[in-house]
Amino acid sequence: MKKRFAKLISLALVGVMSAGVLAGCGNSNDTASASKDGIKIGVLVADVSGEEALGFRNYYEEYIQNNYDVTFEYTDALESAEDEKAAIEKFTSKGYDAIISLSSSDRAQQIETCEEYGVYYAIASGVLDDEQYEQYKGYEYFVGQIGPSNETEFEAGKAMGEYYKEQGISTVAIYGAFIPNPMHVYRAAGIIAGLGDTYGGTDDMNGMIGQIFGDQAVDPSKIEGDVEVVAYLQGYGDTTTDELNAAIQKAPEAFLSVGMATTFFAQTLSQNDIQFADIDSFTEMNLDSMTNGTLTYLAGKYSSSIGPVFALVMNAVNGNVIRDNDGNAVSLSQGYLVATDVDSFNEYYVTDNGDTPIFDKESLDTIIGDAVTYDDVKALVESK
Amino acid sequence: MSTLKKIIHSLAIPVLVAAILEGLCLTQGQNIITNAKSFDNFVVYTAIVMITTMALSINLNSGRFDFSLGSMAALSSVIGAEITYSALAGGKGSATMMLIVTVTVGCLLGLISGAIYVALRLPPIITSLGVTLIYEGIMYTITSGKYLMKEVQNSSMSAFANTWVYAFIIILVVLIFMVVVFEKTTFGYDYAALKSGQKVSINTGINEVKNALICYGICGALMGLVGFLNAARNTTINGGQLNFGSIAIMFTAFLPMFIGGYISQYCNEKMGFLLAAVCMSLLNSTFAVFQIK
Amino acid sequence: MYLQIVFNEAVVLAVVATGAIFIYTLGTFDISLGASTLFAATLGVTVYNKTESLTLMILVLFATGIACSLFNSVLASVFNIPAFVTTVAMMSVLSAIASQIITTDGGALGGISIPSSVVKPYSGIGFKAMLLIIYFAVCFYVFQLTKTGRRMKFIGGNPLCASLTGIKANKYTIIAFTMAGIGVGLGAFLTLTYTPSVTTQTASSIGMNIFIAIVFGGMPISGGPRSKIYAALIGGFSYMLLNDILEIVIDSSAAYGITQVISALFFMAVVYITSMNYRTQALPR
Repeated sequence: MKKRFAKLISLALVGVMSAGVLAGCGNSNDTASASKDGIKIGVLVADVSGEEALGFRNYYEEYIQNNYDVTFEYTDALESAEDEKAAIEKFTSKGYDAIISLSSSDRAQQIETCEEYGVYYAIASGVLDDEQYEQYKGYEYFVGQIGPSNETEFEAGKAMGEYYKEQGISTVAIYGAFIPNPMHVYRAAGIIAGLGDTYGGTDDMNGMIGQIFGDQAVDPSKIEGDVEVVAYLQGYGDTTTDELNAAIQKAPEAFLSVGMATTFFAQTLSQNDIQFADIDSFTEMNLDSMTNGTLTYLAGKYSSSIGPVFALVMNAVNGNVIRDNDGNAVSLSQGYLVATDVDSFNEYYVTDNGDTPIFDKESLDTIIGDAVTYDDVKALVESK
Repeated sequence: MSTLKKIIHSLAIPVLVAAILEGLCLTQGQNIITNAKSFDNFVVYTAIVMITTMALSINLNSGRFDFSLGSMAALSSVIGAEITYSALAGGKGSATMMLIVTVTVGCLLGLISGAIYVALRLPPIITSLGVTLIYEGIMYTITSGKYLMKEVQNSSMSAFANTWVYAFIIILVVLIFMVVVFEKTTFGYDYAALKSGQKVSINTGINEVKNALICYGICGALMGLVGFLNAARNTTINGGQLNFGSIAIMFTAFLPMFIGGYISQYCNEKMGFLLAAVCMSLLNSTFAVFQIK
Repeated sequence: MYLQIVFNEAVVLAVVATGAIFIYTLGTFDISLGASTLFAATLGVTVYNKTESLTLMILVLFATGIACSLFNSVLASVFNIPAFVTTVAMMSVLSAIASQIITTDGGALGGISIPSSVVKPYSGIGFKAMLLIIYFAVCFYVFQLTKTGRRMKFIGGNPLCASLTGIKANKYTIIAFTMAGIGVGLGAFLTLTYTPSVTTQTASSIGMNIFIAIVFGGMPISGGPRSKIYAALIGGFSYMLLNDILEIVIDSSAAYGITQVISALFFMAVVYITSMNYRTQALPR
């Protein structure tokens, strides 16, 4: 009796599953026809919990979705290249019009997959490696990329280093966050260069980052120059509290971080009266840290910085695939906004929140339309 | 074996580990414990490892593999932090209140996990996979995936983490509690009987369901304590742990459980876990010495 | 199209988990199989990039998978260290070494890869299905039709009795881990045929999903005589199908947390129903 019941239930489940699959298949047609009414864009994300990632999502799902005839669907946290490819295939099967990627496990693979399925693709808040861009810039469905390039990451770190050097600081501690994450490697190299120091005898970006990738960390014994790096730590785990304590014991005049210090160390650094700098986002907690005087430098992206990428995709889906002057996919670099006091922080924090983002409907409308050109997009991106 | 010999054998591994690690640190021109703050961190981490190991051992010794330890610690600390902050807004007594709420919530979460296991009668390794996903999902929903910062960053919590005294008291209390409950009560006798002979014990009239539920409840309360200690130590709680992101904490307890099991040949098992936790904490401090550059 | 996606997602899990059935049958488990797959894929890509030989790459994939697994089996059987200790340690070690290679060689790209044209001829569903069938047939033969398989179930069901009847558990532990190692090598190859790049998170979900797949397929996690070689195949594909259906059914605007809760509840409900036939009076362990 029990066995028969289990079999019946199992059969019912199979039925439900099959119905689900059929529903999924049916969905494919439905969404394809629905796209005539509104554009559907799939968004690939790796980070689903960071302040910056949540800000981006809020901008697309709240502001853009309310102001344009578009629907965004976000993926779960994509961990690997396989996850990214499967996500693109799922969006494609559901008849999505375009993909915007905030996930970077294997962007080359993402472009090839979108090309294979004939779906428009753009990279937001980041760019391809130069060599990869050269390879893929002519792909038909690769719309473009707008975000900080590796050079921009290096420059963001460099500007931070220069700021403290100009303040006359002679000792610092550096937090390398999740090196060898490429973004963090470039920022760390930039900080060292900005401090006027050399790494392994060079202050050339490529020379430095090559060594840091090889070392899998920043090795302070290779740093030479006027500003002394008295402590270096990276990662986050069981030993971090001890490492931070050891760094604090070395009494650095400033604690320079390539990311996440505002989350991990704000309170401890504040208790020890050590000023710190970070590359993060304009959040309420960071405002508190800046108000109490501990956070003295913050380079951040703003949530609506992914607006122009949406405009590129929107144009492409509507038939206006914008190309640069050489006929290639658009590639524009976006810098960071820097706050060194409460006023400048507030300016970005207040401005980019809620209903009045920096890239609002009014400004985006200037680059959405059949007559919009590469120069229009470039001008708007560079103006902010 | 004489008492003196037992003490010597019990302490042999921690002393040996301390000597070797101190020697290694000296090669770097440093010590394992470099200053008072370093000692505070050492004691707090010892408490975290010891309690996690005990929590893991309660069910694992009975053949119940529990993946949900980390999710219980994280979710209970999130709920504890949110309730405490909404009541006291980070003011005086926040640490005490959060400690009480977190342990209570942890106990409840443990009981729920145990109830699911008892009700479904599926292997605990399976129910714990489901429970882990559920607790992670609830935690993510409560925190919107963000780190909790302002809820745990206040002077009361700092005062707790900035001295070894409170962590030391917690170690003593937990140690005594575990020894008494598992070795001096009817529940403890039943637990030992069920551990070594499940069918025979049930046939003699021991209520296995009740015993299992209490085990899960204690396990949850201990992990609540771990969640609180982690929040105080890290000054943040990561609310965005999905897809088994919380299970790593369990893996940190395997080695001390193994070492503790060996040491317990010469002393009380719970004492063995404490000594093993001391070894792990020494190792952790040594890693820090080598990692800081 | 959607079934093709499900197949691609599930085939690696099904292959690795089918190999893992041999280990689970013995009443033990290996949590490092995901890390072994990553490690094998990493070495395979590295060797290809140095030699440009596909044959050598495939050999390295299988050799690495088997070597990792055998190392675990030696620790477990010869030194009698509990599998949950050795395999957890191996998981950390293999992931760390693979990450070191990937981040050093990958540099700013964050991953290492081989040209997609190399594996393109092997990326079709037909070819993958053929590999899956061949591997499954071999496993089925060993598990169901030989003394080896029967003895493994005996050891898993009652190790003491098995030992008293003269069955050497060590020998079968090594065979079980070798079979799992072959699955890891094949899994690594199939991973590369889908995406020819390896990042530090490649195959990261396999370790935990193996548990789920095996149970979902109706095999008791404790192994023994009720072990079924087809459990991973059915469980792996069903679980992936279920996840994909939930993705479609659950409103996409629902938060990640809620989706995960619903998915977990569904998982437990399905396992509860499918395991109704073998409930015991005592609580299962």
